[in-house]
Amino acid sequence: MSAVIVSLRVKATPDEAFEVFTQEIAAWWRPKGLFQITPRGDGVLSFEGQQRLITTLPNGKVFEIGKVTAWAPGERLSFTWRQATFRPEQQTDVTVRFEPVGDETRVTVEHRGWDAIPQAHVARHGFPLMVFQQRQAEHWRTLLARFGERLPAV
Amino acid sequence: MSAKPRTVDTTLAALADPARRRVVELLGERPRRAGELADALRLPAPAMSRHLRALKQSGLVEETHPEFDARVRIYTLKAGAMSDLKTWLAETERLWAQQLGAFKAHIEKKRK
Repeated sequence: MSAVIVSLRVKATPDEAFEVFTQEIAAWWRPKGLFQITPRGDGVLSFEGQQRLITTLPNGKVFEIGKVTAWAPGERLSFTWRQATFRPEQQTDVTVRFEPVGDETRVTVEHRGWDAIPQAHVARHGFPLMVFQQRQAEHWRTLLARFGERLPAV
Repeated sequence: MSAKPRTVDTTLAALADPARRRVVELLGERPRRAGELADALRLPAPAMSRHLRALKQSGLVEETHPEFDARVRIYTLKAGAMSDLKTWLAETERLWAQQLGAFKAHIEKKRK
């Protein structure tokens, strides 16, 4: 119930996409986003070894966003995600999947909220939130599709 | 993020139970008495009380008494009860839509 799923296709192989996602996150992450990972901004993100996702703030401080829980090049990447505003014991989980689609790769980000929600209960009872989420997801899919169209043909 | 994790946390915990989700749905239609809710869910009164207590503690539901009879308890859905959770979901969705878009632009520029 508390999962957010966003996906799009990129013109690259799954291996390339995984490589760029993990090794060049500092270059592609847009720190002037809608909201920030820490009150001092997003800083510069990086995957430290295959252990954790950190960000280095302008004052040199390192904030650990989360620990890597799965590292399968060209397939799947999972890490825990904690923003500075979260309480210490609180975390969410992010899984990024890389799937070949023709000569492109579908990159899917699944961000799960607090796992207080047993999976068996998800998407039942016509729960109003589900409707809300589906509408949200539709909205972003449309937006992403448009984003893709605006990119210059490769 | 503007969503307060504490509230989102308690909201999700409260909604982890299908009976409590059903209560939230029913109260979304109109305020109801505890007895009505127990009947609708076919739950014994003590079990219903426990669920209502959990929902009150999570700030999703309020208890009021009609002026003419202080013994009767009416339960209503609190205004904006779900808004923190919805905010978290919406913001997280926006975060990744934006960042994946940036990732796509970056990787495709490289390959030209």
